[in-house]
Formats: sequence, C-alpha cells, structure tokens
Amino acid sequence: MPASFLTRRKQSLWSKAGPTPRLIFGAFLIATVGLFGLTRNDIFGLSFAWPHAALWGAVGWGRVGLSIRPMIILIVFGIVQDVIFHAPFGSFEVINLMTYAASTAIASEFDVTNEPLIAIVSTVMLFIAAFLLLWLMASTLEDHPVRALPLVAAMLTTGLLYALLNKVFDLGRKPGETVGQAT
Amino acid sequence: MARSGRSAQKGVRRSPKRLVLGVLIFGFAALIVVQSAPQIRQFFNPVRASVGDRLGGGEQIGLWARLTGRAAQEQRIRDLEAQVRDLSRYKAAAISMAERLEAYEGILNLMGEPPVRGVTARVTSESEGPFAQTLLANAGRSQGVEPGSVALNEGGLVGRVIQLGERSSRILLVTDFNSRVPVIGEVSGVHAIMQGGATSSGTLTDLPERSDFIEGERILTSAEGGAYPRGIIVGEVHQSGNDWRVKYAMSEGSSGYVQLIPPPTIERPISAGDLPAAEGTPGASPAQGARR
Repeated sequence: MPASFLTRRKQSLWSKAGPTPRLIFGAFLIATVGLFGLTRNDIFGLSFAWPHAALWGAVGWGRVGLSIRPMIILIVFGIVQDVIFHAPFGSFEVINLMTYAASTAIASEFDVTNEPLIAIVSTVMLFIAAFLLLWLMASTLEDHPVRALPLVAAMLTTGLLYALLNKVFDLGRKPGETVGQAT
Repeated sequence: MARSGRSAQKGVRRSPKRLVLGVLIFGFAALIVVQSAPQIRQFFNPVRASVGDRLGGGEQIGLWARLTGRAAQEQRIRDLEAQVRDLSRYKAAAISMAERLEAYEGILNLMGEPPVRGVTARVTSESEGPFAQTLLANAGRSQGVEPGSVALNEGGLVGRVIQLGERSSRILLVTDFNSRVPVIGEVSGVHAIMQGGATSSGTLTDLPERSDFIEGERILTSAEGGAYPRGIIVGEVHQSGNDWRVKYAMSEGSSGYVQLIPPPTIERPISAGDLPAAEGTPGASPAQGARR
C-alpha cells in the first residue's frame, strides 16, 4: 500500500492528463511552432519545421486510433498550410488526413506502444510517405517535378523534432476511453 | 511481428469514424481536382487573400506587441520600413540618372557640379526672436565648415552659415526676412527669388511676366548668384491670392541635425593678358576662343 501510494505520487502531471488536454497542448505546440515559422524559416541554415509541424499531430495522434477531434484540428491546420504554401485548397488536408489514417492503420495492426522498433520504423515510414505524397501532389498540380531537396531537409527536421517532442503528441488513450479501458 | 490483434476483433464492425475519415479524404481530393478549373479556383481567391492577410500580411500589429505596450514602436518601425522601401526606389532612380547625367556631361564637355562634401552638425540652439532667425550648430572651422556653407536637413534647404567659429556656426534660416534664395520650379523651370518672412512659407518675387509656376510643384535652388548649389529642395509652391508662396521643406525634417556643405566655388576668370600663350598646339582647346 505505501509503495503503490508512492508510485502514484511520482506520476507527473502529463501522465495524469487525459486525451483532451494532451490534444489541446499538442495543437497549441503545432500552432506556436507554426507562428514562429511564419516569421523565421531558417535557423542555422536548417529549414524550420513549419508548415509541416501538423504532421507531428497526424503521426502522434493516430497512434491511439481514430477520433473526430484530431481530424478537425488537422483539417484546420491543413487550411492554414494551404494558404501559406499557396497550394490548392484540400492539398494539405488530404496529406494530413492520409497520414493520420495510415498512423491509425499501423496502430491497429501492430503494437506501436510496447514495441520500440515498430514505433520508430513506422514513424519514419509515415514521415517518408507523407513527404513523398506531398512531392507527388505538388509535382502533379504544378505540372513539373518540384525540387525534392528542400522537402527532404524539411522532412529530416520534422522527424528529428518529432523524436524529441513525440511525448507531447501521445494522447495516452483514445478520446472518450476511460483509464481502465486503455489498451 | 507483434500484432495487437485489435483489427481482428474490430474487423467485423466498421467504425463510423473510419467512414468519416474516408469521406473527408475523398472530399478534399475532389476539391483539389475541381480547382483545376480556373473559374472555381478564382472562387477561393478572396478567402485565400483574406486568410493570408490575417496570417502573414504583417500590416497589423501583433497581439504580443499590444500586450507589451510596444504597438506604437512596431507601427513606427513599419512606417519607417515602408519609407525605406520607397526611398530605395528613388535611390536606384537617382543612381541611374546620375550615371546618365555624367555621360551627357561627358558628351557635351560640360563642367558638372562638384561632388558634395559636408559636415553633419547638431543644432544646439535656435533663435526665433525679433531679430534674425538663426540656428547655432556645433561644428565650425576646425570641423571643416567653410564661410557661407549651405545648411540642409532631411527635408531640404535650411539656410546659410553667416558666422563661423572654431567649433560652432551660426546659420541664417531661409525663413528670415533678410534671406533671399534664387529658386527655380522643378517642372515649370520658372526662375524667381524666394524671400523669407514667415515661419511656414516664403514669398516668391521677381517672377517673369509671361510664365507661371505650377501649383504644388517643388521649388529648388537655381544656383544663380553662386551662393547655393543647384537643385537643393526648398519647398512646395502654392498660390495665395496673386502671390506665389513656398511651403518650406525644411519643416518636414526635425531631427535636430543639419548637414553643412561648402558653397559652390566658381573660379574667377583670368584676364586675357594672363593667359598662357598658345604655342602652336594643334586641335581644339578652351583657350582658342579667347580674344587676344
């Protein structure tokens, strides 16, 4: 009893937080990085993650399964991305939602929470697939192959930052699920 | 491979969320395809422009600046940036024109204006009493200021040095009643003399009878008399009854600094007897036209 009491006391505020606060905090982080990226795109020669920061949410939030609220947030971010990139409306919404769908599909097939290798490989594959889709879409809509190198640099930056920040985009359990129901 | 097995459990019943996600992806993909038609793409332009203005227009003061009380500073910075952008266009045009002018002067073998040298000085006191309207600047002979130097500020002509000390200069303002500046209309090319006498505008006298200034045109120094270099902005001309008055450009610049540039120097002509004898040099020379 005292041991379990101590264990419970050691739990951080984040680990006690439910999916909704985590979702809000993750969205806030994406928006903050986005706002920062609007004014300054290069730091020490590295392209900053905006406007691809929404992919962190698509990859991270998809790990607990499908939910409506992350979809809505990803659509909102997609609209902002469309405006910033001057892309046809719907482009980034499709990329964000497809990445989210792929993330949920992988999470439903494999145990991404307990298998670190699967978690890492699936995340890398998701980012590669997302940027490949972005390149394909941009090349198709622009009628010529767009430059791949900036996208690769952005993908590396996005992936590296996600490696540091992935806990922020872990919803812990599916929204609506109680603590005991979480798998 | 570690399979969670959840798909096997849930495989039978299709989640409505999955259907929603599929519909959304399909809907947005359709939206992209539809926008390939220019008419439909144009339909989204006002929305895009409006959202773009909000996000990255940069014209509005940010919330952070408002909260920290720096909105006025931010606004001032933006105004100055806009001014610098405007001025950079004029600078490019001026450089281009200067090069052309140099080329034309070369073609015509014309003596151009000498390059401007100058000293920037701070205005230490300003006299607006009943006597002469003057400024005192903190640069004098030891800083390279010459007697009769011309004083300018950001707006244009300020006046002329009438008294020179080692470390100070007294400048008679163009607003002083005794000040007379030969001027020319920038567009009309009409010559006149500007007489001071009021703090906000001067009077144009000695105008030609058959031509007039153009309302609102800039008035520049004409360099007649040799007291002022040609082309310094004096102000803007406006008609007041039968008189033409010049709104001083100097009142637009009030940073408290003036630039003192030397007066134009015109070489005194040498008498014919002092000319060096031409010793049968072939070709044209400036001395060839001189009467012996």
